[in-house]
Amino acid sequence: MIDATLAETLASIVGERFVLHRPADLLVYNSDGLPGYRRMPRLAVFPGTREETIAVVRALAIDGIPYVPRGAGTGLSGGALADDVVLLGLHRLKRVIAIDRENRRAVVEPGVVNLVLNRLVAPLGLLYAPDPSSEAACTIGGNVAENAGGPHCLKYGVTLNHVLAITALLPDGEVVSLGNPAGESPGYDLLGAFIGSEGCFGIALDITVRLTPKPQAVRTMLADFVSVGEAAQVTSEIIGAGIVPAALEFMDGATIRVVEASIYAAGYPADAEAVLLIELDGLASGIDADQETVQNICMSGGARAVRIARNEAERLRLWQGRKKAFGAMGRLAPHLVVQDAVIPRTKLASVLARISEIAASRRIQVCNVFHAGDGNLHPNVTYNADDPQEAERVHEAMREIMQACVDAGGSITGEHGVGLDKLAYIDLIFSPDSLAAMCRLREVFDPQRRSNPGKAIPIHSCQEWKATPAGR
Amino acid sequence: MESHAGGPVTVAAIQAEIDDARRRSTPVRIAGRAHWMDAGRPVAAERTITTASYSGVVDYVPGDLTITVRSGTTLGEIASITGEEGQWFPLAPYGDDAGTIGATIATGSSGPLAQRFGGIRDLVLGLEFVSGEGKIVRGGGRVVKNVAGFDLTRLMTGSWGTLGIITEATLRLYASEARPATLVVGLPHSGTHFAPRIAALLAAPIVPYAIQLIDGATAMRLKLQARTSLLIEVGGNAAAVKSQRDALAALGAEEIGPEVWTTLRLLDGEGSSVLRISTLVTRLAELWQTLQHSIEEVSGALMNASPGLGMVRCIIPASADAGTVARIAAAGGDCSVVFEKMSPQMWEALSPSVVADRVSRGIKHAFDPANILNPGILGE
Repeated sequence: MIDATLAETLASIVGERFVLHRPADLLVYNSDGLPGYRRMPRLAVFPGTREETIAVVRALAIDGIPYVPRGAGTGLSGGALADDVVLLGLHRLKRVIAIDRENRRAVVEPGVVNLVLNRLVAPLGLLYAPDPSSEAACTIGGNVAENAGGPHCLKYGVTLNHVLAITALLPDGEVVSLGNPAGESPGYDLLGAFIGSEGCFGIALDITVRLTPKPQAVRTMLADFVSVGEAAQVTSEIIGAGIVPAALEFMDGATIRVVEASIYAAGYPADAEAVLLIELDGLASGIDADQETVQNICMSGGARAVRIARNEAERLRLWQGRKKAFGAMGRLAPHLVVQDAVIPRTKLASVLARISEIAASRRIQVCNVFHAGDGNLHPNVTYNADDPQEAERVHEAMREIMQACVDAGGSITGEHGVGLDKLAYIDLIFSPDSLAAMCRLREVFDPQRRSNPGKAIPIHSCQEWKATPAGR
Repeated sequence: MESHAGGPVTVAAIQAEIDDARRRSTPVRIAGRAHWMDAGRPVAAERTITTASYSGVVDYVPGDLTITVRSGTTLGEIASITGEEGQWFPLAPYGDDAGTIGATIATGSSGPLAQRFGGIRDLVLGLEFVSGEGKIVRGGGRVVKNVAGFDLTRLMTGSWGTLGIITEATLRLYASEARPATLVVGLPHSGTHFAPRIAALLAAPIVPYAIQLIDGATAMRLKLQARTSLLIEVGGNAAAVKSQRDALAALGAEEIGPEVWTTLRLLDGEGSSVLRISTLVTRLAELWQTLQHSIEEVSGALMNASPGLGMVRCIIPASADAGTVARIAAAGGDCSVVFEKMSPQMWEALSPSVVADRVSRGIKHAFDPANILNPGILGE
């Protein structure tokens, strides 16, 4: 396919303004939220309506051209990078099609920003539960692709648990309905298979999500510790005591000090080695007893103090430090890598100790800020990628950390997705037969593997792999 | 209980049976303990592979609130093992606890607790299965949050053994809270009259474990006053249970024993047909009324519904013919109908295929190319 012809064809569908092909224009799309990867798209196209999206995908299908669907590009796995193929941006599809208060659901286009939906439904006493830290920018379509989580997924579940139906556009241009917006759907759980498929199964044209009533009462606490091990142990004990907090977040001393030195300062005790941000919610009648249990566990587990947010402003400030921690780390060094492994919750203390050993032996700086209640670690490493020796040490440390998490019985990714970044690790947790089965599933939706090629499952795992057709 | 001696006791043995069946092109029926969960669906199989002997705990660390078990482990066994640690697996699907976890997952079974804890698809974290090609495949993992790889766990859940034989599953557990309370409140018979009453009850400060609307006949079977009623189970810590019980009592609800839930799970008699018909929550009362009208003349028919989930469940006794079942299934108009169980003849008469679309057919072919696993169980 000649690029000029393709650009012309696509421009005839979406208008010339919405097709980019000059390298200077494409530069902004050469990375996502994870700065370690750069891939240049060959061309970018931004349909503005559902019909245009269908027409674009059908035009690409005719010539067998691969493409990468992209929402806001906030992902942390390199999953939305187009390596010399077409980048299909969906952020213009941002219509909220319906909000149904009585049935507690909303229908949105894929480009609707997570927080925009939450702001729209908040006055109705409702919320959309999955709340990735990038909620102010990330799109619901991207959330579906990654099966996104967030701090409050500890209690409320991830994207999978909050999507009722999707109208999907398959890579060959066929439009299919997955799930049922009004009840059960018999047959295979195609909706469940589609969610978290990292854009490899197609594009969600519209998404029906479940809305959750706001809890009657919320209690937000900050427990501070002089020992990382004690904070980890307390996390396991809170979960073991039968309390499911709405969120249970962990920040280590390095993170606390970075946040406190930044514009996002949240009033965390700067001399602490760890803080737990614990949020309880539910019925007003039961929350005092749960708060007391949590406080007792914290204090007898070595906490110096447990501070309780007295009002909404104080609560939001405590959360701001957590949600903006990644941003604050920009102060430390030009580049940042973050992992997303999940470990069994009883292994938190031992795995954190191991991470600290690895950091010391590789002479790297790790900041731990993560969803402790789920065992979902986010070791952040700040470094200078332009220093090849440092970059190599970081690379080695990341592999060792991942191995430690897998050895503890964990998974390589809890919410960020495999994308490009974790392709090298997927063999650690899945056998060749399991990966081949996943490839088979993908090929049902996308026989030519044109949608987000080369992501999620390593190419060598797919038996009968054929070179990607025209366009590369 | 029937004996399961002789069933395969290792994954390798299950794999060998599949390999053998594939070589001979012999269709197989997959069974757990082979009681009600087979749902009467006809399968053109020449032999049965049962997972009942492949049971027991693989891994259980209570502090992680997860358990990994072999697929032949029964729900009762899981309840007793986790109960000793003050934990539970909050599913309680329709049927009894003698069913295996493998069959529960394969049939996508859930019960009234889905109101609070979600259905089976929300509670399975990962699983292992032997595909129709005899490969041992894993999806998901043993941790509570995981997006690595495509979601084979959801794909297998509710696939009725047509894509593989589930051999192992990791489940999400919850810690037991204070003893839950069950309350009942009588309602007007007609949907138009009870809808506002239910709305008022559910607007109370409660976060129920389960809510079930039951008809008079069902109430009688539960040894309650024979009238349309709402059953509510509330849980949480002791203070939360008390406040919810008080709030509901103030609205006229009366506390009863928890055994109604066990009885409710077991109301479908031998040979009966069970349909689940779902709609939007706001249209549930209307659907209930329509269905009530359509089962009026069917002696022994029962109805229960989840007002919070928009689903009505109709139990139609064995004496009713296929035409009656078809008529009731059609009464909901464009509402989604799931046939939970029917007699084999009924399946043949109604034979609703749920996997006829291109994607579903492609998936079946990808995982069971020789079409040897439970052929026909989901219709053609």
